[in-house]
Order: sequence, then C-alpha cells, then structure tokens
Amino acid sequence: MTARVFVPRDSAARSVGADEVAERIAAVAAARGIEVDLVRTGSRGMLWLEPLVEVETPQGRVGYGPVEPERVDGLIGEGMLDGTASGLGPVDELDWLRRQQRLTFARVGVVDPRSADDFERHGGMAGLRAALAMGPEAVVEAVVDSGLRGRGGAGFPAGIKWRTVAGAEADVKFVCCNADEGDSGTYADRMLMEGDPFTLLEGMAIAAYATGATEGFVYLRSEYPDAVVAMEAAIDAARARGWLGEHVLGSDLSFDVQVRVGAGAYICGEETAMLESLEGKRGQVRAKPPIPALEGLFGRPTVVNNVITLASVPWVLAHGAQAYAEHGVGRSRGTSVFQLAGNVKQGGIVETGFGVTLGELVEGFGGGTASGRPVRAVQVGGPLGAYLPVSRFDVAVGYEEMAAVGAMVGHGGVVVFDDTVDMSRMARFAMEFCAEESCGKCTPCRIGSVRGVEVIDKIRAGEDRDANLALLDDLCELMADGSLCAMGGLTPMPVRSAVEHFGEDFR
Amino acid sequence: MVEPPQIRMANDIAAQFRHRPPAEAAGEVAEHIRLFWEERMRADLLAQVAAAPEGDDGIDPIVIDAAALLRADAPGPTA
Amino acid sequence: MSLAKQPDLGTPARPGEATVSVTIDGISVDVAPGTSVMRAAATAGVDVPKLCATDSLEPFGSCRLCLVEIDGAKGTPASCTTPVSDGMVVRTQTDKVAKLRRGVMELYISDHPLDCLTCSANGDCELQDMAGVTGLREVRYGSGVDAGANHLDAPKDTSNPYFTFDGSKCIVCSRCVRACDEVQGTIALTVDGRGFASKIAAGSDVGFFDSDCVSCGACVQACPTATLQENTVIELGVPTRSVETTCAYCGVGCSFRAELRGDELVRMVPSKTGGANEGHSCVKGRFAFGYASHPDRVLEPMVRDSLAEEFRPVSWDEAISFTARRLLEIQGEHGRGSIGAITSSRCTNEEVYVVQKLVRAAFGNNNVDTCARVCHSPTGYGLKQTFGTSAGTQDFKSVAASDVIVVIGANPTDGHPVFASRMKRRLREGAKLIVIDPRRIDLVRTPHIEATHHLQLAPGTNVAVVNAMAHVAVTEGLVDTEFVAERCEGYDEWAEVIARPENSPEALEEVTGVPAAELRAAARLYATGGNSAIYYGLGVTEHSQGSTMVMGMANLAMATGNIGRDGVGVNPLRGQNNVQGSCDMGSFPHELPGYRHVSDDGVREVYEQLWGTPILDEPGLRIPNMFDAALDGSFRALFVQGEDIAQSDPNITHVHAALAALDLLVVQDLFVNETAKFAHVLLPGTSFLEKDGTFTNAERRINRVRPLMAPKTGKQEWEIVSEIAQAMGYPMHYDDAAQIMDEIALTTPTFAGVSHAKLDEVGSVQWPCNDAAPDGTPIMHVDGFVRGKGRFMETTYVPTRERSTRRFPLILTTGRILTQYNVGAQTRRTANVAWHGEDVLEIHPHDAEVRGISDGDRVSLASRAGETTLRARIADRMPVGVVYTTFHHPVTRANVVTTEYSDWATNCPEYKVTAVQVALLTAPAEVEQTADQVPVAGG
Repeated sequence: MTARVFVPRDSAARSVGADEVAERIAAVAAARGIEVDLVRTGSRGMLWLEPLVEVETPQGRVGYGPVEPERVDGLIGEGMLDGTASGLGPVDELDWLRRQQRLTFARVGVVDPRSADDFERHGGMAGLRAALAMGPEAVVEAVVDSGLRGRGGAGFPAGIKWRTVAGAEADVKFVCCNADEGDSGTYADRMLMEGDPFTLLEGMAIAAYATGATEGFVYLRSEYPDAVVAMEAAIDAARARGWLGEHVLGSDLSFDVQVRVGAGAYICGEETAMLESLEGKRGQVRAKPPIPALEGLFGRPTVVNNVITLASVPWVLAHGAQAYAEHGVGRSRGTSVFQLAGNVKQGGIVETGFGVTLGELVEGFGGGTASGRPVRAVQVGGPLGAYLPVSRFDVAVGYEEMAAVGAMVGHGGVVVFDDTVDMSRMARFAMEFCAEESCGKCTPCRIGSVRGVEVIDKIRAGEDRDANLALLDDLCELMADGSLCAMGGLTPMPVRSAVEHFGEDFR
Repeated sequence: MVEPPQIRMANDIAAQFRHRPPAEAAGEVAEHIRLFWEERMRADLLAQVAAAPEGDDGIDPIVIDAAALLRADAPGPTA
Repeated sequence: MSLAKQPDLGTPARPGEATVSVTIDGISVDVAPGTSVMRAAATAGVDVPKLCATDSLEPFGSCRLCLVEIDGAKGTPASCTTPVSDGMVVRTQTDKVAKLRRGVMELYISDHPLDCLTCSANGDCELQDMAGVTGLREVRYGSGVDAGANHLDAPKDTSNPYFTFDGSKCIVCSRCVRACDEVQGTIALTVDGRGFASKIAAGSDVGFFDSDCVSCGACVQACPTATLQENTVIELGVPTRSVETTCAYCGVGCSFRAELRGDELVRMVPSKTGGANEGHSCVKGRFAFGYASHPDRVLEPMVRDSLAEEFRPVSWDEAISFTARRLLEIQGEHGRGSIGAITSSRCTNEEVYVVQKLVRAAFGNNNVDTCARVCHSPTGYGLKQTFGTSAGTQDFKSVAASDVIVVIGANPTDGHPVFASRMKRRLREGAKLIVIDPRRIDLVRTPHIEATHHLQLAPGTNVAVVNAMAHVAVTEGLVDTEFVAERCEGYDEWAEVIARPENSPEALEEVTGVPAAELRAAARLYATGGNSAIYYGLGVTEHSQGSTMVMGMANLAMATGNIGRDGVGVNPLRGQNNVQGSCDMGSFPHELPGYRHVSDDGVREVYEQLWGTPILDEPGLRIPNMFDAALDGSFRALFVQGEDIAQSDPNITHVHAALAALDLLVVQDLFVNETAKFAHVLLPGTSFLEKDGTFTNAERRINRVRPLMAPKTGKQEWEIVSEIAQAMGYPMHYDDAAQIMDEIALTTPTFAGVSHAKLDEVGSVQWPCNDAAPDGTPIMHVDGFVRGKGRFMETTYVPTRERSTRRFPLILTTGRILTQYNVGAQTRRTANVAWHGEDVLEIHPHDAEVRGISDGDRVSLASRAGETTLRARIADRMPVGVVYTTFHHPVTRANVVTTEYSDWATNCPEYKVTAVQVALLTAPAEVEQTADQVPVAGG
C-alpha cells in the first residue's frame, strides 16, 4: 500500500525546513521500501506546528508537527507513514481548526495547489459554475446580499463596487487583484495564493463575468516569489482547462489573467497607486474621483479587490449569499481571515466569523505571548492599525465595532506585544514607516511623516513635551483629515492610539 | 543647357496639361500666363517662341500654341 | 498698464452648459457638469487656497490646501479633485479647514528657505501668498535645519540658458511635471525618488539642458515658487507692468503678455486668453526676444551711392529723400515697371499694406511680391482654385475634435511647436496619426504617440501619393457621395481620371517608394476614421507641383467630406508670423488686398477712388521674375521690407548677381543682413516689441501687436513708407496704424468688421469678419464653399525635372529645428544658439559608408547650382539616397545648392528637392565665415 503524505510547500513552512522534511521522507521511505505519494500542499496556517506533516489514514489525515528534518527517521520508524506513530491526531479535529469557520481558506493546506483536479475534487469551480448559470446581474446581487466587504482594509461592499463597474459603458473593463500584501505581520494573501491559487482565479472570473470585464491582473509584490510561481502555474493550468481564455467553461465569458510583479513599494498596495504601477508609471496615488470602478486601469472601469475578497466570492456563489451572511456581526458579514503574529505563542491563520473578540483571538487562539510575559498591546490591521490595550480585549471585531474604539480591522493582521514594549518607540515607528513608504504626492504625508518622527523624538528626549504632544496631535489631525490616501490618513491611528492608551510611555 | 526663364516656366506649366487634348492644354497655359505673368514676361515669351527655329525641341509644342493664343489677345489680359 | 495677474480658476473648464447648480459659502453658481468645486467657487468669486492646482492643468490633489467641507459628504475633500453635483452645498471657510490649511502651510514652510525678501519670486510667489491667506503665524516645527530633515542644500540647475531650477525652493507640487506632460507633451520631467526624498528631475542624472526638455517654459510658468524662474527675473526683478501682444516668430501667432520693468522687457508670458495658444508657448516665443535689443540692431538710416562705398549714417529726411529721388530717377530713365518692392511676412498687416500701396499708387505698377512667394504661395493658389479662398479652413482648436490627423511635409514639433502640443494632446487622447514625409520626423514616434502610418515617400512624389490615396477612396467606395453631390462640382471628371489604374497605389509604388498596402491602409483610415484633418507645411508647397499638391489634398478632403466642420479641414502650417496677413494685404503682384485680381475693374475702382490714382490692371513681377528682369536690365530698383532674399532665396549665386545688377536696393531691416550688403539705402526697422498693428496667423486670426516701447529708430515702419510715397509726390499719410486698418477694412470685404478698437475689445478675430460674420469665422466653408461649390481640380502627377544623376546621385531636402527660426537673423542673436550652433547634413548610414563619411566629418554638398560645406550627422531618419539639412545659419549657405526650379503655378522655389553629391572633405575645412563676413558679391 502506498502511503499518502502531505508536506506544505508554503514559504512559511519552507522557511522552517519543510523542503528538507519532504526530501527526507522520500529518502527514508525509499530506503525502507515504503512507497510514498508525497503531496506538497499549502499551509494549514498553524505556524507553530510547521513543518506540519500529515498522513492519510482511514480516520482522516493525522498530523505530526513541528517535524524537524532530523526527526523524520525516528518518526517513520515509529510508524508515521501509516499514521500509527503518536502525534497530533486527526488534523481536522484539532481544536484550533475546529473553532474556526474556514470558508475562504477551506482548501488551503488541504489540496495540492498545483493540481486543478484536486481543486475541483474539493469543490473548486462550483462558484463559477453557479455564477454562469445565474447571469451577471444575479451574481452582482448575490455578492451585494452576502455583505462581502473589501478585505484589503477599506471594507467597501464588494457587490456595490461590482455594480458600478457592471453599469459602466466601455470598450474594455478590467479585474485587478491587489496582491501587494505589504502590511507587516500579514500573510493571508500569500498563503491563499500559494495554497489555493485556483480559488483566486475562480473569484476573478466570477468578478469578470458579473461586470463584463475581459482582462485580469494579479498585482503581486516582488517579495512573494513563491506566490508568483504558484499563480503563474495555476493560470497555465486554468487556461489548459478552459477556466480562463475564450469561452470559459463553454460560456460566453472570455477572460484571461496575467500576473504583474510590483517593484516593492508599500504604497502600491493603495489601489490607485497600484493602477498607476500596472500602467507602467511611477506608483503614485491618484486623487479620487474618478473612482477606479469608473476610470481605473488605463482609464477603463476596473474592479479592484484584494486577494481575500476575490477568493471569498466562489464560496458565496457556491453556497449562497445567505449562507455567507449568516456569519458575522453587525454590518460585518461573513468571515474574516486574521493573521496572528508578533510575540504570540500560536501564530497563524484564524478564519472566523466577524464578531470574535480580540481577547479570543489573542488569548484563545494565540495562547498569549510567546515570551510568556503578559500581553500589553495588540496592533490590529497592519502597521497603520491602532494599538489596543488588554482592557479593550472585549471588543468584538467588526468594521464598525473597531472604528468605534479608534481602531480598524484592516487586512486582519493581529500583532501581539508583551509588557516590555516601549509604545513611544512604536508610535515613532509608525511615522517612520509612513516616511519610508510615502509616495510623496501629498504634503501631509510627504513632509508630515518626517516631521512626525522628529516631533516624537523631541518628546522622547523630553523636549517641550506638552507643546510637542500638542503639535503631534495637530499633525495627526492634519494627516488623518488632510492626506490624499489611507497611507498618510491612517498613520495617525497607531500614533494616537499609543498616546491615548499608553500615555505613560510619552511622559 | 540653360533655358531662358520664360521658356522654362512656360514649359513647366505646359507639362501640367500635357495629358489634355492639345487645344485645351494650350488654352489652359495661355489663361494661366494671362492671369499671372507680367507684361514684359509675356512679351519675352512671345519673342522667344517667335525666334525659335522650327522644330526647336526646347519649347513644348503646347507653349507654342499657347503663345499663339496670347499673341491674338493683345493688348492686356482678361480675368 | 500695470501688472495684473491672469486669473486662475484652479482647474480647467469642462465642456457643456452650466446646468449644475451649487452653493458655495452661500453664493449660488451654475457650472458645467464635471466642473471642480474649486473652479465653481472661483466662478462664484470665492478663492479657495491652492498650490498644486492651476487652471491649465488637470487637478492633482496633492497640496491639500484646498480642502473644503461639503454638506452630506464625509471629511474634508479637496475642492480641486471633487466635481460638483447638483444642489451641493460647499463651505470653504470653516474652523476645521482653516486649521488643516495652516497645518499644511506649517509643513511647507518647515522645509523652505526663509529668504523671501531676497528671493527672486518675492511678490510673485504663490507659496508666499498662501502663507498670508492661511494666516500662518508660527512654524512650530522650526524651519529648515531647526526643524530637522530639509532640502535647503538642494543644488541649483543652471544648465538652461533661460531659466534656473532651484531645488531648495521646490514644494514638489508637480505642476512643472504636469505642465511638461499635459501642456507641452514632451514628458521630459519626472519626480525622482519618493516620499520626502521626492525631487523634480529632468530625466535621470542629467540637467535640464541635456534632457529631453525643449525649453518651452511651461514648467517655469507653472511653478508657483521661485524654483523654476526665468533668469531675466532673477537678474532684473519682478516685472511691474504688462502689455498684451503677439509673438513675431512662426505662423501659430501666440498671444503673450510682455512683462516689463519700465521699458525693459523682463519676460514673455503666454496669454491664457490667446486664441491660438491658450497659455502655451515655445522656446522661441517665450525666451528668444533678446535680439530686439541686440547691439547688432541698426538704429540709424544709412545711405551709399555705390556698393564700393561704405554706408554713411544720415538723417531720416535725407534717407527718405534720397530713396524717393533715386526711385523717381530710375523710373524716369527705365520706365514705370523698372522698380518694385517685396513685402515682409514678419511685418504687420498695416506695414505690409502701405508697401503694396506704395507700389500700386506711387510706383504705378504691380511689381510687389512677398516672401510667401517662396513658402506658401501654392497654398494661396491651390486653395483658391478649389475652395475659393487662400487660407486654411480651421482654427487650431479644431484639432481637438479630430479622429485622424494627417501631417504632410511638416514637422510641427520643431516648426510649429505650440500647435504641435495641441496636436499631441489629441493624439495622446487616441486620435490616429498619418505622417507623409520622406523624413522620420519626431512626431512619428514620441512619448505616448506613434503614427499609425508613416508614408516615407521619395521627395517630389507628393502628388503621386495624394492621387493614390484619392484613388483608393474613389475605387473602394469610400467617397462621401452626399457631400460631393451637394457641395462640390467637377467630381465626375476628376473621379474618372483618378480611378484610372495608373493612379493606383500599386502602379505608383515604384515612383513614391511607399508600399501600396500601407498607402491603401492610410487612405482607408483617412476616409473612414471619423473626422480627418490634414495639416501641411513647406514639404507640400516647395515643389515643382506644390500648387497641384495643395489641390490634391483639397480634392481628397472634399471627396471624403472632411471639410466644413470642427475637426476636419485642410490646413497650412504657415512659417511666419504674418505670412497669412502679408498675402491677405495684397502683396501678390496679381492681387489687390483680399485676393482680388488686379484685372477686376470693380475692385480696382474702389482703390482708384480712394487712392486718387489709376491702378495698373496687369499683374506685376514675382520675386524670381524680378531677379530675371534685373539680370536682363529691365528691372533696376527694389525696396525690400524685412526679408533677407540674399540668404533665403534659392540659387543664391543667381540672386546675388541680380541684386548686384540693381541701380538701387533699399533694405528695411533690423540688421545688416545678407541682402543689405547689396543695398544702397538701409532703413532701420522696428522689432515686434516696438510695432503697433496686427499679425494674422495661420488660422486667419488677426491679433494685435502692441508697442511695449517707442521705436528705437524713431519711426514706425509704416511712417517711413508713407514718407517715401510723399517724397515721390504721392500723398500718403496716416496718423496711426489703426487708421491703416480702417482703410483695409473699408476696402476689403473679408476685413470689413476689423478695427483695432474691435480687437482691443474682443482680443482677436478670424477673418472673414464682416456683417455676415461679425465675430469672425473660426471654421470656413461650413454651409458652402467661399467660391460656391467646391471644385475638384485635376492633379496629374508630373515628376520634377530635378532628378538624381550619376554626378548628383542624392536628393537634398530641407527643414527646420525648434530653437532656430528661418535664416536665424533673430534666433542666432539669442541664447538659442546653445542648442543649434550650426546646421548639419543628415545622411543615411549607407550613403555615408560608401562615401567614407563618419559622424561629425566635414563634407562638401554640391549641386549643379553650387557647392557648400557643412558637418555630417549619420542618421537613419531619411531613406537611403536622401540627405537633409536645416538652413538657419548663413555659413551653411544651403541655398547655394538649391536651383531655379519652381512650382509651375506660382514660382514657389523647389527647395525640397535638389540633386546633390556629398563628399568627405579631406583637407582641413577652410576658415569658416561668420554670418557677417560672407562676401558681398559672388557668394
């Protein structure tokens, strides 16, 4: 009997030795005359268990992890390849996964991302098939009804955006997937693209069908070479299957996708800067209006959505808007893909319905800090997200709920800090990050971020603290209300939240 | 060979009408010269044409015919 | 006039009716859909603070000073990038936005030198204005070094001779970059780096001078601070008064506000309200005015009895009486027709009008011609024959409505740069381009523009190409039969000829060198691509069939219905500021003002009555005829108004001999030009900065030229001419130039509604301007052709007699370059020489290789007419067998090689085709002669 073994090829797993583990398994099995069918999957998103090796058994896939390469011999000797060695037990039964609602990430870590067959066997293409059967208008309405909002951070209802693009007259329309995942501590886009790239293509095809677009681009950051390879391989396979190109699945839909690799500027994650970059120009923010839905790429109506947004669409279409909307809280429907990082014991992907509390994420899923010291602050939503103290762990995470406490969901990054953190340094870092990544177009961001660093330095040095804190507050107001885009507009969020919740670090 | 200017210019005009029947062509050339040439240029052309030996291949036959028309309508042009 | 700033509404106007009603600070205003809140506010009289916005550029939204509050909208949107919507209620002055604006200014000033009092833009700086407007009282960050990071040490770029870039004063508003992109279309500037390190750069690692910058100055004009500043302002200070006037270079005729300190011209700023240029300019018009105060200017009249003598300065009275006496003596001795005059396309309509009047009324003949003879006389002839009037059909603005633009024998980016910018803007918007030219001009491929077709024809085969295009239209059923049937005549006869197989692209391919398939595709695009417009230049007219080609283009336009509306037409790109006007003013020997033949008794009678003297009903001599007659002894005296015929006319050896044969040559010019070396009388002329009158540009637009200062010579040119007439016994007197225009209006139906008063009131008008068209006529032939029906004219292709031979195997053609102007009398006396110090001969690598010529070698250029030398540049812009040069420098002596061949109908010289040989000069080049050392005789 052939042993079916799953080892992630996700770059997070590879960074801790997954490739060596896979090689070692193959070598040891061969030496022992055991036939092995080694499948390279994405990651299940339990980063503290990587490399996580799974073995197919009649009881389902059982897990071993973390498996260091040097433990492979021993584990095989103990019977890992038939699932008899002691380990994590059935992976699907792990509490950490069972407590999640994996809709968008249902196949990530499960399927072989290089295999269109595997994708289809696990329910792939059901969304696009359903969409093609219902007609473009109904698709738009389903996405509207699902309550799906932009997962890149802005939270704009995807269906409304699609409706605008669908209603615009033009010779050509585009679907642009923003995969310029630049927030520190976030990796959901990458994991999805590496672990289940076909889902993203399916979502883009559905968007194209709904809006009348014919060309798609995945704008991928250059720091994600494995994701580029995965997407390009998936595009080739999808074309071969008739999932892209002329007459997708035999329908009237003609749609193709290309990958474009960015040049490493954080600002290109801002949608209009991304469009400029896609047009071959300097990645600089455009003033809106015109909105990209009407005048986007090359001035044509363009759907710009984040990876997770687009990858959530197939589930919505396959299972119905209602089923999706059943998850969530308030006006935040469906699931959110959180990424636990920083000083956290159990980091990884937590896909769960909106409404989960911060405490549950940090303590429940994360298990507290990796250092074992008390949690002091959590930054939610990337480097421009707010720092929240433990006293706010009761907040149910949703777009409006977070806004009410001066924070945001952003792209779902959750970075944990213990009690050794100096929050004035973190505030400075926010300004420094903005100064580093500002495109330089608007004044508040271009000059303001540099002055912000300098003012915080003066505060930290004890120079005219009160006056400089007042100046910092005015600067934050100016950047928040006066900046052209969210880069400068959100930078004050970590700064102000640090001052507000951790004022003692500024005294 | 250096053409006298009036002959050169008349030949140039004639060349433009060479595809037309000879009588028409001569009429067009004569009309053009009437409208645009100064009196002494016309006189010079007529003198040159008159002085040219029979069968002079330096003067376009259309010009010779046009010259005859111009000679007939002296004095003064019509518009 | 004091220096009044041109109003800036912040963002460009949007087309359409004012149907959107908004309330701004309680004031209601109606504006067109798509108008920005900022512009709506300005329209309502409410100025919103701004720095990155200016109404010549699309909104950008970067400075964040113009934030406003809008009822029902979240936050504080930028008013420049927010379009109005009906019922919108905007508040531009709230505590909230006031605080934000002060915050923005506080940031700007924290990285800006505090040297306002000694800054060259002091008093003319928007940053300074905004600091005032926003009430900035304190910069809490400190300034410059005190604040922290700064750009105070950013270097200056002084590489451009006309302006300086001072990076320390830059606020990175990108107005310069956007002006370069949107207004000029050169796309030379960029923002280098990002964030706080962002800086303006002209290309990578080069200064302005070595970059793609064409020095149009749009960036300087757009700059709100002292960052990009005219050197004259740096040297002289901010101007104190301004006068609206018209550029005296090319036929685009840009309107400028000349800004002065006292009598000193500080800078030229293109007028936003100028119909031709709408706020744009080129390097010549904006910067190259220094010649007007050049020490070479002749300011006193000079006389000599023979060419062997030196000139002697004399009083005006003596110069005028000498001139009149000699003219009368010569006429007495050699007859009425022995004298004549040449008018100048550089002079005003009024100045030209009096010269032709001098000839017709005082000389009593029609021996008057103009330099248009050697450039656009075929345009006059061809368009008159087909359409009924000797002028282009469109206004410049029309190109914005074109879908297909055909450029034939013209190089707009060099020759007519301001119009080229309009054209490029339309091409960037997606209009298709067809270039018909032996040379690959820049427009064929330039940033964001690529010609759909470049028909690289053999020089001299224009007519074959246009006939083949017409053949395609006729034989492929692409003719607008309705237009033709209703509006035209002579179609059937024409179509029968043009449809013959000998006119097919295939049959003509060998002659033209243009692949038949490419030509067919171009013809189809022209005929079916929507609004198709033809723009052409001297590459059309300066041929033995120049007039035929003009008619050929007119035929094609009529056949495809591309006449009589916005976006179409047949349009000469005229070379000189007033070449249209000088032709309009009766400068041709067969026509009285308004293109009316001298044999027309009714027209003559009008002038005879007014002028009180009979007018000859016979055409006079044309310029080349004058030279021929001078050599045969029947033409003895010539008055030349502002034209350097001894340099600019073809076959210079012949011209010099003719000039040397004259008994009297009177030259009226700014400088001792080449022609003046043959002159007996030199009458100093006035520069455009001193003139009072009008210029008429290529779109028939009559623009005012206003004196910035009194004539440096003491007399207006029209006064000199009147006084000569007086001295000859013919009474001629005008109190001022306006009176001359009144006489023109009184006698010329197409000018009946024109007067200086009217132009002062409305800015400019395009003729015809009369009771039927009181506001002028931007587009002609709208409802019917001027001549009634448009007339198809037969255009049989007749090859030029100028052929390449074994002795002269190459064909020379000529053109212009951006920074120099014609014979260079003006531009060579400015810093423009920095760009083009000499003319070079472009030669194809293949032709160069077989002659052993390398880039930069000195070569001889010889034709059967003569020989000159110049430096070679290896270039593949021309096909094999064709060489190219410009003719801006006298030392080039390009016209030594050009021949006597000319357009059959108008005698316009065939400059564009000369059979030549090129050879490597092995001996060191002979001592180069400067402009002023060219020997007087012989050449």
